[in-house]
Amino acid sequence: MSDLKVIGKPVPRIDGEERVVGAAQYVDDLDFGPNLLHAEIVESPHAHAEILSIDTREAERVPGVVKVVTAKDFPYTFGLYMQDRYIFAKDRVRFVGEQVAAVIARDPATAKRAAERVKVRYRKRPFVLDLKEALSDDAPLVHPDLGHYARCPWFFPRAGTNIAHWRKTRRGDIRKGFAQADFILEDTYTVPRYAHCAIETHAIVSLYDHSGRLTLWSSSQSPFTQRNVFANALAPLGLSHQDIRVISPNVGGGFGGKAGVSMEIMGAVLGLAVKGHPVKLRCTRGQEFYNTYQRQGVLARIKLGATKDGRMTAIDHKLHWDAGAYVEYGANVVNAAGLSATGPYPIPNIRIDSICTYTNLPPGGPYRGFGYSEFLFGLESHVDRLAEMMGMDPVKFRRINAIQEGDTLAYGGKMNPSGLREAIDRTAREIKWGKKTRPSGPNKVTGKGFATFWKAPAMPPNAASSAFLKFNEDGSLNVLISGMDIGQGLLTVMAQVASEVLTVPVERIRVETPDTDRNAYEWQTVGSHVTWGCGNAVKMAAEEARDKIFTTVHRAHGLKKEDLYLENEEVRCRTRKNFRLPLRDFVINGIMLPNGQFRGGPILASGMFMPEFTSALSDPETSQGGKPNVHYTVGAAAVDIEIDRDTGKVDVLKVVLAVDVGRAINPDLIRGQVVGGVVQGLATALYEDIRYDKNGKLLNANFTDYKIPTAMDTPKEIVPIILEVPQPDGPYGARGVGEHTMIPCAPIVANAIYNALGLRLKSMPLTAEKICLAMNGIDYDEVKGETMGLCFMGDPDTYEFSTGKTR
Amino acid sequence: MNITVKLNGIAQTIAVEPSDLLIDVIRDRLGVKSPKYGCGKGDCGACTVLLDGDVVRSCLVLAVEADGREITTVEALSMEGPNDVQRELIRNNAFQCGFCAPGVTLAAEELLRRNADPTEEEIREAVAGNLCRCTGYQQIVEAVRTAARSRRKKAGRKRRPRSGRKGVKS
Amino acid sequence: MSIAHPFVYEKPATVGQALKLLSRHGPRARVLAGGTDLIGLMVDGAERPDVVVDIKGIKGLKDIRREKSATVLGSLATFTDVLESSLIRRKLPVMAEMAGWVASRGVRNRGTLVGNICSAVPCCDTGPILLAYRAQILVKGPRGARRVPIDKWFTGPRTTVLKPRELVIGIRIPDPGRHAGCFVKMRRYRGEDLAQASVTVLLMPGKEWRVAFGSVAPKPIQGKRIERLLKGRSLDAGLMDKVVDLTAKEIAPITDIRSTREYRAHMIRVMMRRALEGAVSRKAGKGPPYGSELI
Repeated sequence: MSDLKVIGKPVPRIDGEERVVGAAQYVDDLDFGPNLLHAEIVESPHAHAEILSIDTREAERVPGVVKVVTAKDFPYTFGLYMQDRYIFAKDRVRFVGEQVAAVIARDPATAKRAAERVKVRYRKRPFVLDLKEALSDDAPLVHPDLGHYARCPWFFPRAGTNIAHWRKTRRGDIRKGFAQADFILEDTYTVPRYAHCAIETHAIVSLYDHSGRLTLWSSSQSPFTQRNVFANALAPLGLSHQDIRVISPNVGGGFGGKAGVSMEIMGAVLGLAVKGHPVKLRCTRGQEFYNTYQRQGVLARIKLGATKDGRMTAIDHKLHWDAGAYVEYGANVVNAAGLSATGPYPIPNIRIDSICTYTNLPPGGPYRGFGYSEFLFGLESHVDRLAEMMGMDPVKFRRINAIQEGDTLAYGGKMNPSGLREAIDRTAREIKWGKKTRPSGPNKVTGKGFATFWKAPAMPPNAASSAFLKFNEDGSLNVLISGMDIGQGLLTVMAQVASEVLTVPVERIRVETPDTDRNAYEWQTVGSHVTWGCGNAVKMAAEEARDKIFTTVHRAHGLKKEDLYLENEEVRCRTRKNFRLPLRDFVINGIMLPNGQFRGGPILASGMFMPEFTSALSDPETSQGGKPNVHYTVGAAAVDIEIDRDTGKVDVLKVVLAVDVGRAINPDLIRGQVVGGVVQGLATALYEDIRYDKNGKLLNANFTDYKIPTAMDTPKEIVPIILEVPQPDGPYGARGVGEHTMIPCAPIVANAIYNALGLRLKSMPLTAEKICLAMNGIDYDEVKGETMGLCFMGDPDTYEFSTGKTR
Repeated sequence: MNITVKLNGIAQTIAVEPSDLLIDVIRDRLGVKSPKYGCGKGDCGACTVLLDGDVVRSCLVLAVEADGREITTVEALSMEGPNDVQRELIRNNAFQCGFCAPGVTLAAEELLRRNADPTEEEIREAVAGNLCRCTGYQQIVEAVRTAARSRRKKAGRKRRPRSGRKGVKS
Repeated sequence: MSIAHPFVYEKPATVGQALKLLSRHGPRARVLAGGTDLIGLMVDGAERPDVVVDIKGIKGLKDIRREKSATVLGSLATFTDVLESSLIRRKLPVMAEMAGWVASRGVRNRGTLVGNICSAVPCCDTGPILLAYRAQILVKGPRGARRVPIDKWFTGPRTTVLKPRELVIGIRIPDPGRHAGCFVKMRRYRGEDLAQASVTVLLMPGKEWRVAFGSVAPKPIQGKRIERLLKGRSLDAGLMDKVVDLTAKEIAPITDIRSTREYRAHMIRVMMRRALEGAVSRKAGKGPPYGSELI
């Protein structure tokens, strides 16, 4: 592999220039001419209510209004994994901000004015915001029809309750495992809801033309999945996949928030409502917070046992998820966590319960880390504490238990090759583990924290990637994929893969954002799987193109294909030193024979990858028997912090993060993923959380009070360590890295705070305020008042969930 | 009412409503799309433009307020190819999704026009009003620092002595 | 994200014309200066004026100038103007320190100090600094001009003594003489954030002290008890402790989304201590430089 020319090189992004000169176009930047209409959403002011009537007459009378759309016009359900949502709330609303109607008008101001004139009468119903209440026997049911929803086969809802899904993973004998343990620690941790905060809000333009074609320009991580969800939901109107086209230009940040389908379904039907007119729907910043997806809150009860020589013997991990009003995507987050909540430790005796619970809060969904960020805070805090209880260094404890190739996973499969021990060792060395940094002042104190992490893509077993490749007359080429560049640099990395095979320089390869009519299929750009999956497809397409090139040369020149090779955009021959045929001479127009005839023609190729070795089918009581995950990416991270004892303020001096990427196709872009992911992760640890009032209204749906770190709020130093234990089925050995860099950031901070102050905080976020109050003997959760940082209202330690009705 | 603005060097007269926001007029009426809608409250900086050379939030400016004034968007910096700041931002892979890039680039350009030799702290301060969720800012700051150095070199300027921070010195 | 309510835009060229417009439209008119507050409120629909009077066409209102033994800031002076004014840095360095912590450059280039005290949110940074500097607000109205001492200006959250037909034309700050001080702002982010609490301390000639607080009461407040306690005295450890304890009597913080009452009360004590220490060392010509982070 050492002779690789492009793979492993820090090449500049192929789309770098268009971004800084203002040429990169996002959905909102596309021009649609004077026919363009604009939509404004009418939203529910209640957390739970019946819709008695909707009077649109006054709104329709506002000059400039074209149409008002409600569930009456499109009474259909949709959902990625479970069809539990209506396009517009029908009969009842289930969270504050839910869409009840939309006004389509000539201009945004008119739509906004008219939306205020839509009169909706509601009858309020009892609502549940708190998990404990949602699980009680007499809880108001968020979805009385739960038993009738179409869903994927690996979800297990409990009709007649608020439990939308319950993933159980069982292995070994949990009782025996704890009996073998010399030390057992049990405790509860809570993680609030978070928001993605991509700077571009969701936007979609929908055009249903007079030929019956529905075209959507969508700011999406998932154009093909969107088409599929639209086609399924709109089938009653006679629309099918071939009638629907989804085009995704540049996306201004995703982080999971633009995966699947959320507000886009409204965009789709608004186009249908006004044939011939493109309609634009763009989320306000507020809507972006409460009506796309949020990261779900979780309450985790962990019991972990280990022998005195440091071997983990048993884990009992209960995860209670506040999934919100709809779980069509969020339940799969719960599922993913439920299969992997051991962390990267092959513990022999396992009981995991991951329970997805409906509440009357905005819908939860995918967010960078997909369940792992959520459970790792508790788990890796707990591992540190158990180590302390045992009198063992926490890094050593992790090293002893670190998972290795061939170890058995919680669901019974085998672990892929990976370098967790090396990640632990190198991270510990780089952070100077065991050595205290000298504080910068008398009221300052320093501390270090450590954590390991892992994550697998959560994808259906038949989630496929594919690629088309075609040459141009000048020997440059186009790669047509539907993996999305949401900033991570996928287009550049795919160009590198094609370049490596075909020797065409990266800057002569165009890889553009997708169009479902023209580009090859991709399931979705989620789960950090596209470098791997789409990369395999591109590599296969490039190899097919190379083969076709050699066939053409063979047919024209009679050279043996096995003697041919590519170098510097030329075909060369091992047996004929002087033979050099530039690609540009024949990849479109073929090669002329002495008689004037031509051989060959345009070189086109395709590639496809589907992980045929996976299966989501397993025993619902134990999760044993299937192979739901393709592979795990692992790593370790550590932090050195300084805390001001007077204010509680945390200065992050240094973060080290080692991740085994299998093969670093572009180290510079991986560095970008590490730095960006660490800052996003630290934000959830130190600053952010979503707040609701007691009626379920989101209080900080803006960047004034849900603020993300600025350039002055970042660590002084972030050191990425890239490890490369190849993934055998990955392109050049690569596996995913995008999400992983965010995952360990909360526990490293929690552990460092403990190391600095002897203070164990068990609820996120770990704000200066919470730290400072705790130092002064005040529990933040007791004084925070009616602005809830969490959806867990009582004392988490005393949470005992009644699931009586559901057994 | 009619307003006349000079947008990226070209004077244009158009009719606007008093309630029209500058961001919408630049984007939807004058067709220049680099200022983006991010929050509508002046919190994120995605809509940054230069108004008579100063960075402002175009979402918090009425179009009528720009009458008779000069507006510069990031497009104007690269009329003859990317300028020095832009080149460094490209070379450093400074942006990921790129949505914040026009605003950050203008904030950096404005900084270097008024301060040829900014400290790292001053660079961070200058772009602190431009939120970026992707990058963690590190590569942006490195690029601006490198660009400042090369611009000084080109102008034959020396580094200034260091003291204090944030431009407030006593 | 648009402004859904139509309005008439007026851009008077003189104060007299502006007053005429305000007089004619009364409470249906709003004055527009930097717009960083008003335009956001209009987008939200929280402000729906019929007439917007843009005062940026009035000459001279942007000036920061000397007037007898005072400094006068016109009502169009922005935070950037203050931050970059050598006059302010020389005469009123703590005001420049405050301006540096306001929002971000893109907002400071437009936002005005007068706008800040007219919108009068409890977390405004200009209020406490003007209280400490004993500023007077220069107001003109149908019945002529008046000067409002800053401690009479604020009446509650988002309310002031300004009447609908009046216009603020500037802020007058009497020369404080050779002094030093600190503006300490508690916030969740270093980059750009509203104050969760602020402490302003000025050490004036003749051991006179001035103290003001922001975000810990319905309006910016002056620390009168502390000022009386400190008057004429040099700071020692015992006095410092007394001052810090006295903060509890001066402030009335609440719990809101930005902070709990408990943390605000605690932080005011910490900030008070650091501001006093900072003021003393700055008075002695030693650091920390203005603009340094004290918390």
